[in-house]
Amino acid sequence: EKWAATQPKHPPTRLALQHFDSSYGAQLGPLWPSVRVALLSERKYGALLNSFSHDLVLEDLQVQGCRDFISHQDRLVFGAEEGSCEVSMTSLEFLSQQQYPPQLSPHLKCFVFPRGDVTRFKPARPDRYGLLGYYLMDAASILPCLALDVQKGHTVLDLCAAPGGKTLALLQTQLIRYLCINDSSMSRTSRLRKVLHSYVPKQFLTDENLRITSFDGTMWGEMERETFDRVLVDVPCTTDRHSLTEDDNNIFSKSRTGERRRLPQLQLELLLAGIAAARPGGEIVYSTCTLSQNQNLSVVEQAVHFAQEKHGIQLQVVSLKPLVQKFRNTFHFAPELHLGEMVIPHLAANFGPIYLCKLKRLP
Amino acid sequence: MNTEISFCALHDVQRTKRLSLSSLLEMGFTDSQARHICDSVFEIKKESSVKRVLSTLTVLFVLGLNPTSVQKMLDICPDLYIVKETLLQQRIDHLRKLGLVEGSLQRMVVHYPKILTVPVKSVKNVVQFLREKCLFTTQQVTDILRDTPAVVLEDLLQLEYKFQYVYFRMGVKQAEMVKFRLFRFTLDDVRCRHTFLERRGLYQTPDKKGQTTIINPKLGDILNVDQDTFVSSVARASAEEYDIFQKLLARECKEEELLQGRVEAY
Ligand SMILES: C[S@@+](CC[C@H](N)C(=O)[O-])C[C@H]1O[C@@H](n2cnc3c(N)ncnc32)[C@H](O)[C@@H]1O
Repeated sequence: EKWAATQPKHPPTRLALQHFDSSYGAQLGPLWPSVRVALLSERKYGALLNSFSHDLVLEDLQVQGCRDFISHQDRLVFGAEEGSCEVSMTSLEFLSQQQYPPQLSPHLKCFVFPRGDVTRFKPARPDRYGLLGYYLMDAASILPCLALDVQKGHTVLDLCAAPGGKTLALLQTQLIRYLCINDSSMSRTSRLRKVLHSYVPKQFLTDENLRITSFDGTMWGEMERETFDRVLVDVPCTTDRHSLTEDDNNIFSKSRTGERRRLPQLQLELLLAGIAAARPGGEIVYSTCTLSQNQNLSVVEQAVHFAQEKHGIQLQVVSLKPLVQKFRNTFHFAPELHLGEMVIPHLAANFGPIYLCKLKRLP
Repeated sequence: MNTEISFCALHDVQRTKRLSLSSLLEMGFTDSQARHICDSVFEIKKESSVKRVLSTLTVLFVLGLNPTSVQKMLDICPDLYIVKETLLQQRIDHLRKLGLVEGSLQRMVVHYPKILTVPVKSVKNVVQFLREKCLFTTQQVTDILRDTPAVVLEDLLQLEYKFQYVYFRMGVKQAEMVKFRLFRFTLDDVRCRHTFLERRGLYQTPDKKGQTTIINPKLGDILNVDQDTFVSSVARASAEEYDIFQKLLARECKEEELLQGRVEAY
């Protein structure tokens, strides 16, 4: 009996779905069905180009019909939009305007197949030095790295870094003077190490360039305060897509209920630690891959409040509207979020969910 | 056009009337219909068929079909030309025995003449399958045959998948399946529409007591509407979404089958 196959009565994936139906149904309203079907169907990937690879990967990808969404701008669509401020800015104005999309490193490229195209990427191949041509990841995961707006000579902390997709994107910019890579999980940090070694030449992985640690990130503020120009806080979360598709290691399994309930608290502590680690004037990006308000906006709100109350740290929320404007042809963004931005999955552009919010420490 | 007599008359057999334009005209075909039939028989170029044509036609006339209907049937299904009279009669009798009453029987064979090329044994197999494996009542089986005669040619394994999918995954009972003519649709179509609704949160498999926490759309609302209506009114989605979903689901199913094939091969 093919369709009556016995399933455990409450598999974690099922529990996750029930949970999402009630919380996201209310949160997203009429958008939820469209997000739901996308979450339950095959996701799309982006190919983060490895600028250290010696193969002609870029050409190869272009031939397959995908394009780098970071440099690519659909002029037609932008032009058609009335009042779009995209065109007439000189590069000086560009830099002076705090809120304007970060100047992107020319080395950072992420290829995606066009809207509606469901072609898959082939696995990346090693070049003659053993370096892989690209890293497959959710293309929307690049956004927190872009939002971080790394400039030449910066010191950067990647607080929850494993398995290393965003770390790799940050390294691709070739702008960072010193990168601290941390993840509390030993096994995941060793995986991250392997990832780095299959993408980045040894001379970029020296003690002068970077440090890899396995600390509990919530303690960072006590170890290294006011140090980094940029801090990425990409916290553990309910990983909505994973929770809906994989029963193994699922945060909605009964045995992990406590851990799941404690997530917002852990996220808050991690973000506060990240804030403490940033130097005055430095910038922090908080990101998750969940749609959950409790793990996104609420955490940021509380962190901003706590930082002020408990540590006397003044924070300013930096608008990511320009980023949204620039990439709204590649991703679907949630409308009307009062804090941060969120990529919501859609069948035609099945990336995300990714939530990101940027904070700046006032000097 | 002078194909007629020269060819047809060559193969005259004592027992049968010769197939000629005049014999066809006598049976009530118009001039052009008669020529058309002669041409078709000529194309088949099988002696035996030529011999049989008139008796075959006679059986159809005895069934009460008019020349226009008969010609239409032969056009859709030229294989009918070569079915033996006795077999044809057996098949018709069998359909009557299955409960197809006068009127529906005729409509069915005109609409789907191919059914008369299917051996009684095959029809019996399908009927038995529908009764025993799917627990349709005798009357329901008759209705299925009448509305969807093509089931008799479907692969039984496919048919079983389709039934089980709709019964178990969608929680739809036999009566509804018959009422909304499930068997007119391919498993792929049914599965695609249902899965789309299910993933959008608009369809739930009923529990053991037949209960759901949402109200499922009726099978008829899912199947008996064109795609645009289904997408916009039932699924409340965009055409773009459904278009992509179809591609994705087709790939998912194919890969699942491959995987299953591999497992079964062990
Ligand atoms: C969403 S993942 C990070 C993904 C990664 N940034 C990337 O782009 O590949 C969250 C990570 O946080 C780590 N983590 C969980 N608790 C932590 C803690 N207290 N301190 C530091 N890292 C932690 C987990 O091991 C997990 O690897």
